[in-house]
Amino acid sequence: MSIHLDPDKCLACTTCVVHCPVAEATPAFLGPRMIGPAFERFRLLGIVEDDSLKYCANCKNCEIACPQNVPVATINMLARMAQCQEIPPSFRDWIVAHGEVLARGLKYFPAWLKNMGTHLSLMRTLLDWIGIHKDCPMPNFAKTAFRDHLPRLSQKGFAKSVAFFPGCYINYYDPGTGFDLVWLLNQAGYRVFVPKDFVCCGIPLISGGFEKDARDNTRTNLRVLAELNAQKIPVISACPSCRLMLTREIGEFFPELMPKEKISIDDAQSFLLKCIATGELDIKTAHNSSVNISAIYHAPCHLRAQGAGLPALELLSYFPDIAICEANAGCCGISGSYGFKKEKYAIAQSVGARLFQRITTSGRPLVASECGTCRLQIAQATKKPATHPLTLVRAALQGRPLTLG
Amino acid sequence: MSVDRIETDVVVIGGGATGIGTLRDLSLRGIAAVLVEQGGIAHGTSSRFHGLLHSGGRYAVSDTLSAKECIEENTILRRIGAQCVEETEGFFVLLPEDDPDYVEPWLKGCAEAGIQTEELSVEEARRLEPEISPQALRVFRVPDSCVDGFRLVLHNAMSARRHGGRVLLYHKVTGISQANGNIQSVDVIDTLTQTKKTLYCRAVVNAAGSWSGQIAALAGLDVPVSPDKGSLIVFNHRFTSRVVNRLHPGSDGDIFVPHGSITILGTTSVATDRPDDTKPTREEILRLLAIGEPLFPKLQTYRILRAFAGTRPLYTPGNAQGRNASRNFQVFDHASDGLHGFFSIFGGKLTTYRLMAEKVCNAVASYLNVNTACTTKDQPMVEEASAEHLKAARHAFPVGDLSLMADRVGDDLEKVLDLAKKRTSSSSAGNPLICECEMVSLAEIESIAQDPDSHTLTDIRLRTRLGMGTCQGTFCALRAVNAMFEHDIPLSRDPLYELRAFLQERFRGLAPTLWGIQAQEMQLSRAIYAGVLNLRKETYAVKN
Repeated sequence: MSIHLDPDKCLACTTCVVHCPVAEATPAFLGPRMIGPAFERFRLLGIVEDDSLKYCANCKNCEIACPQNVPVATINMLARMAQCQEIPPSFRDWIVAHGEVLARGLKYFPAWLKNMGTHLSLMRTLLDWIGIHKDCPMPNFAKTAFRDHLPRLSQKGFAKSVAFFPGCYINYYDPGTGFDLVWLLNQAGYRVFVPKDFVCCGIPLISGGFEKDARDNTRTNLRVLAELNAQKIPVISACPSCRLMLTREIGEFFPELMPKEKISIDDAQSFLLKCIATGELDIKTAHNSSVNISAIYHAPCHLRAQGAGLPALELLSYFPDIAICEANAGCCGISGSYGFKKEKYAIAQSVGARLFQRITTSGRPLVASECGTCRLQIAQATKKPATHPLTLVRAALQGRPLTLG
Repeated sequence: MSVDRIETDVVVIGGGATGIGTLRDLSLRGIAAVLVEQGGIAHGTSSRFHGLLHSGGRYAVSDTLSAKECIEENTILRRIGAQCVEETEGFFVLLPEDDPDYVEPWLKGCAEAGIQTEELSVEEARRLEPEISPQALRVFRVPDSCVDGFRLVLHNAMSARRHGGRVLLYHKVTGISQANGNIQSVDVIDTLTQTKKTLYCRAVVNAAGSWSGQIAALAGLDVPVSPDKGSLIVFNHRFTSRVVNRLHPGSDGDIFVPHGSITILGTTSVATDRPDDTKPTREEILRLLAIGEPLFPKLQTYRILRAFAGTRPLYTPGNAQGRNASRNFQVFDHASDGLHGFFSIFGGKLTTYRLMAEKVCNAVASYLNVNTACTTKDQPMVEEASAEHLKAARHAFPVGDLSLMADRVGDDLEKVLDLAKKRTSSSSAGNPLICECEMVSLAEIESIAQDPDSHTLTDIRLRTRLGMGTCQGTFCALRAVNAMFEHDIPLSRDPLYELRAFLQERFRGLAPTLWGIQAQEMQLSRAIYAGVLNLRKETYAVKN
């Protein structure tokens, strides 16, 4: 790995340091500017990588804040990948980065057994021993993965198609959100399918330093995306991290794999907003329902990093039955699998504290956020149910009360 | 006012590489010697060049003797000055605009001088250094290296001190006295305290570089030295890991030298009548960029940190000028001018400073009837820090790799480690990074500040690299002054005066290159210091 991003644009202004939730939570992290562009000048000199690098959560708040457009977190991830070429990552790091591989391997075990495995205290002690904190929130495997169940749905008579990139979270742990999206798109006249070759977007692999695996996944996904784009089939994602990775980050990590044509993947909420604007999706019926949802919305960092506004908030505001307010209280701390890790669990909790406080005092009974792991973290810390905004949209449109476990 | 009286055998004038190298050589031979320098260590040319430790390849055609001396001294310095030298190797690159017929005589010259060369395919060279122009026709590898001129002088001084040599910094020579054709004494004034001193001695070595004409004049002598100004550009990052030279007869703007975190492009050559003519002009900088671009096509896009200039002390008998003047050095025994015990050394280049010192010390030793041989090429200047030792101190530093710091501080290492441990165990703030761009911790600044030879923030900067990176002092200047004030680390003057003087000095190098991102950086700096802190000229005037 020899990509080095030009560190010249950094003014050392430390805006990123002020906005870095990890630097605020722990002095063990030297901060995004130091470990990013400043240290990059020494990486070019061949200095030994600093321990502090491992504390970067890749939450991207530094990049959101940077007035100079320095890809700070990307510099860190490239450095981590280079470091992992020298020192192979631990077993624990392999596990948390390879959720998809693991889930595939465990495919034929029933969900109750897998979930018992991840929730039994003996199992948690064992996981704690390999470095996954015993108190961290963990997702439950769904009975049937989204991609296995989707073909069983009857979607007949739709003239238009849309390809859905479900991401690992919706696929293995949260298929309900996927089906809500399918229902909504069906209402707009689209058949939804998942191309069989789509694999994990690779963002957990990047964070773990698994350069080769991330590259392999990127190559596969790019091939599928190029075919879909060539056929003018819209592609959508309901996970901000997957979309961030596929629309921007792969170009920074693997410039050599990038096709000349721009790869386009729509945010699910933006896509639905467009459907409403064109009249494809009729939301008038929603005005007659009486679902009465009151929720607080948390914008995931990886959504904000895309700089494309908060489409979910806009979409939710179309429905008079949904009273929504924005938390606007920063990062939840989990950053994918960061908050699972034993040595980072306390940092992740400390990072999220402000958000948890805001949610708790808001008085809203429900939390909405697109990101699966944000929801896990928030639900555990605030004891409030957390759901994907699409689930609320469907409930309002269908006039069906929410059932939240 | 009383005049302090110091007695010694030899007074060395000039605290650059040659002078301090001479002091070290004399001290190792057991000859008592005192060195006087008008500024801080390496205040003249030794810290104002590109930092190339020549393999000799540059002189292979024009000057075989220089080339031979270069490769010999290059080999010695890599051994005795490991902390000052980065063994990068170098490339000589032939571009389409260069004369292809120069290659054969160049290779022959290198072979004659004993400089190893190896031709690489252009693909291989560009795999190693991807930023080099794809237009390159031929690439040769040579044992060029990089040397930190300032550190080299500092470590020489540390070694000299260990052997009894004495260094008087900020001491200006005001007179040289003789009696009956023999050297008697040197009058100096401490420019910080205005104290006068007289150094009684048997011999004087004039190693004042570009200033040696002025020194000789104090003794009523005339030496053929002409200062020749060379300007250089410092870039923010290391876009090459090797020294890269154009394969053509030496010219302006054809050497790129990586240096720690930065890259330096040099040099121009303009005759000047002032040895302290160290102000680069914008025209020179633009010209250097234009000349350097064929070798590194993206050159204009790399961020420039600053520019600086130094004056070469060229030996110019018969009025030879600029690049035509020899880079050879000359030892002069002024007995032929009727003054016994007065020796001048001039010309030469940093790479051969040790040899120059050896030659002049041979002459001095023979004049003083001392028979000890020169041993400077056998002993490392400072001891190498052991890896285990550094590892044990790792917890007391904010950044894990301590090697850069250890190389910088030389003999002061133990002191820095002790201070760092003390800081870490005594307060929760520990030993924070003060300068992030160059990774300098508080303990290092504290240790250097306590050195009696450190007077200003600039003295600390030179030894630690504080303020020499990306932000050019924008953040670390305030942090350093603040930390020093907070921890009762003495500065010789009012902290706000120090701050302004430091920033003014940084700005001096920025001024001729103020465009692009660095101009934005300076706007930020101005906003902080002139805006928020109101540190304006009227409030804190600094004499330049």
